[in-house]
Amino acid sequence: MASITGSSSLMASLSCNKLTQTLTRAYNFNVVSVAVSGKSFPSLKLSSAPSRFRVSCAATPETVDKVCSIVRKQLALPEDSAVTGESKFASLGADSLDTVEIVMGLEEEFGISVEEESAQTIATVQDAADLIEKLISKN
Amino acid sequence: MLSYFCKLGLKMKIHCFSQKMFCTSALSPLPLPSRMETHLWYVLPNEVKSQSLLSQYVDLLPPPEKDHVFSMRGDELQKSALLARALVRTTISRYQIYSRVSPRSLVFKKNAHGKPEVIWEQSDDWHPPQLHFNLSHTSSLIACGVTVGSPIGIDVEEKERTLKNNILSFAKRYFSCEELEVLSAISDPEVQRHKFIKLWTLKEAYVKALGIGFSGAPFNTFTIRFGGANPNPEVLDSAIAVVPLEKPTNLTTNWQFKQLELADSHYAAICRQNDGLLGGESMKVIVRKTIPLVEEHCVPRIDSIVRVDELT
Repeated sequence: MASITGSSSLMASLSCNKLTQTLTRAYNFNVVSVAVSGKSFPSLKLSSAPSRFRVSCAATPETVDKVCSIVRKQLALPEDSAVTGESKFASLGADSLDTVEIVMGLEEEFGISVEEESAQTIATVQDAADLIEKLISKN
Repeated sequence: MLSYFCKLGLKMKIHCFSQKMFCTSALSPLPLPSRMETHLWYVLPNEVKSQSLLSQYVDLLPPPEKDHVFSMRGDELQKSALLARALVRTTISRYQIYSRVSPRSLVFKKNAHGKPEVIWEQSDDWHPPQLHFNLSHTSSLIACGVTVGSPIGIDVEEKERTLKNNILSFAKRYFSCEELEVLSAISDPEVQRHKFIKLWTLKEAYVKALGIGFSGAPFNTFTIRFGGANPNPEVLDSAIAVVPLEKPTNLTTNWQFKQLELADSHYAAICRQNDGLLGGESMKVIVRKTIPLVEEHCVPRIDSIVRVDELT
């Protein structure tokens, strides 16, 4: 989201809700608590599965990093682009073919087999990392 | 010259809907597709540059959809997400459904597998249309297919898209044995890659039409087979059929497919139910290129390559 704040690009000027921007930015940088200072914002939905706000102990940082690197490579993202556990594949621009290619890359990297039925449960880097650890521990 | 082609119309299967490309006001109503037609609308993001137009699109969206658009990473992805929502809302509103349906008033939900559907207003004196739609997008083209009386799935991919993985390794892992054989038999890497992309779009269109997606119908549980009893090599999509591979299966086979090229840059696949009305004829598709709220052009399609000797 670094391209949005402070620039006069076409889309930036349309994103009129600064609070949405700030929360979305925080969201992408792996903040698990949303500081709303006692105010409620019913119209703002950081729509996602509940697991997004759970501090996950399942996957090691090394696993998460490897997943990030495979995702970066698949989506041809620059090295300095922020990809973290909370990053959603779809928000990074992955379509269905990219997602399947990413899963194939993860299978090869980690020596696991990911059932196609599980593909829909993987929305973020963290989801992928957690699944990998689960499958590795089963092996 | 054009009237000569029209006389040979049926034999040559050139679809021209008028002798001129027509430009209409984007909000004037259109008849719903007949049960035998499929409408395919597409927009090219590169052609939408006006900031005020993009603001109008943002204004069409309810807050959750706006949030979703702006949660995408970077301008291009946001624009693409915005155009997809604008396309589906303006397209559905174009049909003569009900005077109160407008792009802004449409309400969508997702089925259990994430497939979007319209929630129609319920009232005693009105029966909602059996309108079905499906969206697909790439960074350079966004498409929406519309049918009446049949679920629909579509998928579009850039013709020049490359895989990061090796094509045959990918096909070995995810496609059926028969499809892997078809791909392996192609020696030219470019032809092989194009065939892969066509196969991918057809398989995606099928699982999206079923409404269960890749997870509900893993790609190695069915084969897309080209060429029926009388394959016509001149036609891009002669007799494409789906063959489930497992028994028992939850995969149905009463589906018909169409493969198209759009804007010279993309392959598109459409899948809809085959209810026997077409009697074995190829799917009738009307393609329209559009800029939502601004304009549209009906795109004439050439279904078969015309041989020179047919013209004399």
